Amino acid sequence: MASIGQILLAGLSLGSVYALTALGFVLIYRATNVVNFAQGEFLMLGAYFLFTFVEGAKLNYGVAALIAIGMLGVLGLLFALGVYYPLRNRSFLPVIIATIGASIMFQNGALAIWGSSPERLRPVLEGGGSGGVTLGGVYFNYQYVIILAVTLVLMGFQYAFFEFTLLGKKTQAISQDKDMARLLGIPVTGMIALTFIYSTILGGLAGMLVAPIFFLQHNMGSIPGLKAFSASIIGGFGDVRGAIVGGLTLGVLESFGGAYISTVYKDAFAFLLLIIFLLVRPQGLFGEKVGEKA
Amino acid sequence: MRRSARFLIAIVTGLAVFTASRGAAQMGGPIKIGQLLPMTGNFASSLKMQRQGAELAVEEVNKAGGVKGRMLQLVREDDKSTDPGAVQAFQKLIEDKEMVAVIGSIRSTQILAMLPTINEAQIPVMIGGTNFSLTHQGSRWVFRHRPHDGFSAQVMVKFVVEELKKNKLAIVHTSDGFGNGGRDEVVKGLKARQMEPVVIKAINTGDKDFTAVVTAVKNSGADALVTYFTSTSDLAIFATQAKQQGLLPQMTWIGSPSITTTDAAKLAGDALVGTYGIGDFDPTGNPTAQAFQVAYKAKFNEDTDLFSAWTYDAVHNLASAMTHAPDLKPDSIRAGILAIKKRMGAENEYTFDERGDGLDHYYILRNVGGTWTVLKAVHVERY
Repeated sequence: MASIGQILLAGLSLGSVYALTALGFVLIYRATNVVNFAQGEFLMLGAYFLFTFVEGAKLNYGVAALIAIGMLGVLGLLFALGVYYPLRNRSFLPVIIATIGASIMFQNGALAIWGSSPERLRPVLEGGGSGGVTLGGVYFNYQYVIILAVTLVLMGFQYAFFEFTLLGKKTQAISQDKDMARLLGIPVTGMIALTFIYSTILGGLAGMLVAPIFFLQHNMGSIPGLKAFSASIIGGFGDVRGAIVGGLTLGVLESFGGAYISTVYKDAFAFLLLIIFLLVRPQGLFGEKVGEKA
Repeated sequence: MRRSARFLIAIVTGLAVFTASRGAAQMGGPIKIGQLLPMTGNFASSLKMQRQGAELAVEEVNKAGGVKGRMLQLVREDDKSTDPGAVQAFQKLIEDKEMVAVIGSIRSTQILAMLPTINEAQIPVMIGGTNFSLTHQGSRWVFRHRPHDGFSAQVMVKFVVEELKKNKLAIVHTSDGFGNGGRDEVVKGLKARQMEPVVIKAINTGDKDFTAVVTAVKNSGADALVTYFTSTSDLAIFATQAKQQGLLPQMTWIGSPSITTTDAAKLAGDALVGTYGIGDFDPTGNPTAQAFQVAYKAKFNEDTDLFSAWTYDAVHNLASAMTHAPDLKPDSIRAGILAIKKRMGAENEYTFDERGDGLDHYYILRNVGGTWTVLKAVHVERY
């Protein structure tokens, strides 16, 4: 029983990371109809930024996190200007290819800056020596609990943003018809840049949260990025709830699949689920909105 | 008219420079040695150590006058941490006809992928991969600079069963050429003692969550754990989670050499305290290793580990073979390598046999308060 709890907790935490990264995918997709394949690299860069300020400059964790978030924001803006903006009037394909190019560039840039040795970042809370508590035979890693909490808060924030704020509604309007939105006086370019900034920060936050568990490496973002992409399809591309539910489902499935079927084919379960969804329910779990949009 | 004359002069000058440089290369130019390195991809973490080990050895050889009056030069190529990447990089290296030998890789799975190309190219390749079969497939061109997994499994099983008196062994291994080979050898070693492992779990390189594996080992009733991890990061994450979930420090754990690396200690911290490991390299293991550690620390301000040690030895063995060979033809270099008997390297004493195996020792180490201490060096009978 305790071991089931342990496996579930691991699945939910891993799923939260997928969900956070998937949220970034969804945001950009909603605003621009483009899939940003560099989202996983934002995760990696967020982790490295935080690492640089915590372990390198020896700053306080909170201060370091704020600076890292600021840097991510600037990066997001540059990304929008450098990768999306020049290609914005072309079809979605050149933009997607450009994001793949940017992803390769980020990985190799990180390799050049931070080197090839994996690095360790200390967890936010190190209380009790091991950084966690054992309750009813299940070990609760504080970092896992923090990941779950931050995901929950961000999920709520993002849902409220899209459904109840004017800014959120403007973003939705842009995603549905850019020209119409522009005619109605919505500053499309600025809004899209804002979306890129926010999703870069989201991706980076996911990285900052998992850094103490995963260790930092230049390629640490690729697998979570790919899983998050699958998660957003399973959840229904373009849907905030879908990204969350898809991410969590994927994490839990992987965790239990690994425990009871095969650890080697663990990754295959995620992609198997993706294929099943693409065949049986291509619009995903919460896919109605995408259907309407199309 | 004028333009074509100028063009002609340019061509003639170019040709002259080209011929002169070719001549120089044949007369006294550098001796080129290729090195496959994981510059990108999942195994890039070992790049620096492998590069620096070879770099230091080349510097030492060149300082001492080089080989046959010529300097050694390393030509590096990225194997992208993948099997196809290694084959491509190897092909690219041997396209240069001046390449006398190649160093790399340390990963068995890549060498398995390269073997057909190596046999066809007929050029000496210094390898660090420890999968048993690499030197047992009849290839004349691979020369191993680390003891193979048959020995490591023998040493680990013997130590755990006979000295630590454990009889319920769990095996956790990376699912690749190295890990699967190690698993088979441990199972073989147990069978010879009428025993069977209580649980075997495989993992993938790059896995981040090992809850399932830790749980399985915990529930199996095992009293000792034998691991073959290829990637140090995987090992460190596994160790951290095993400690958090209560498997460590109670469980007796003995790991293949990756457990004793510098990176493992840096990443896993105190989770590894009390564990056992086997290592083919130890900086205090012998006088050559000690000198290597001093020189390496002076040049790079870092400690040595097995990744830097094997490339360091590979360059020195190659230099020694070439010095004693009449010329630099592949067959002569091969004969030179096979003539190496009882040559002390950073790893241990090299004696190359017909199959291409150079070493037959292992150190048993224990992590005492975060530092790896050599318990003993064990030489095993070659097979």
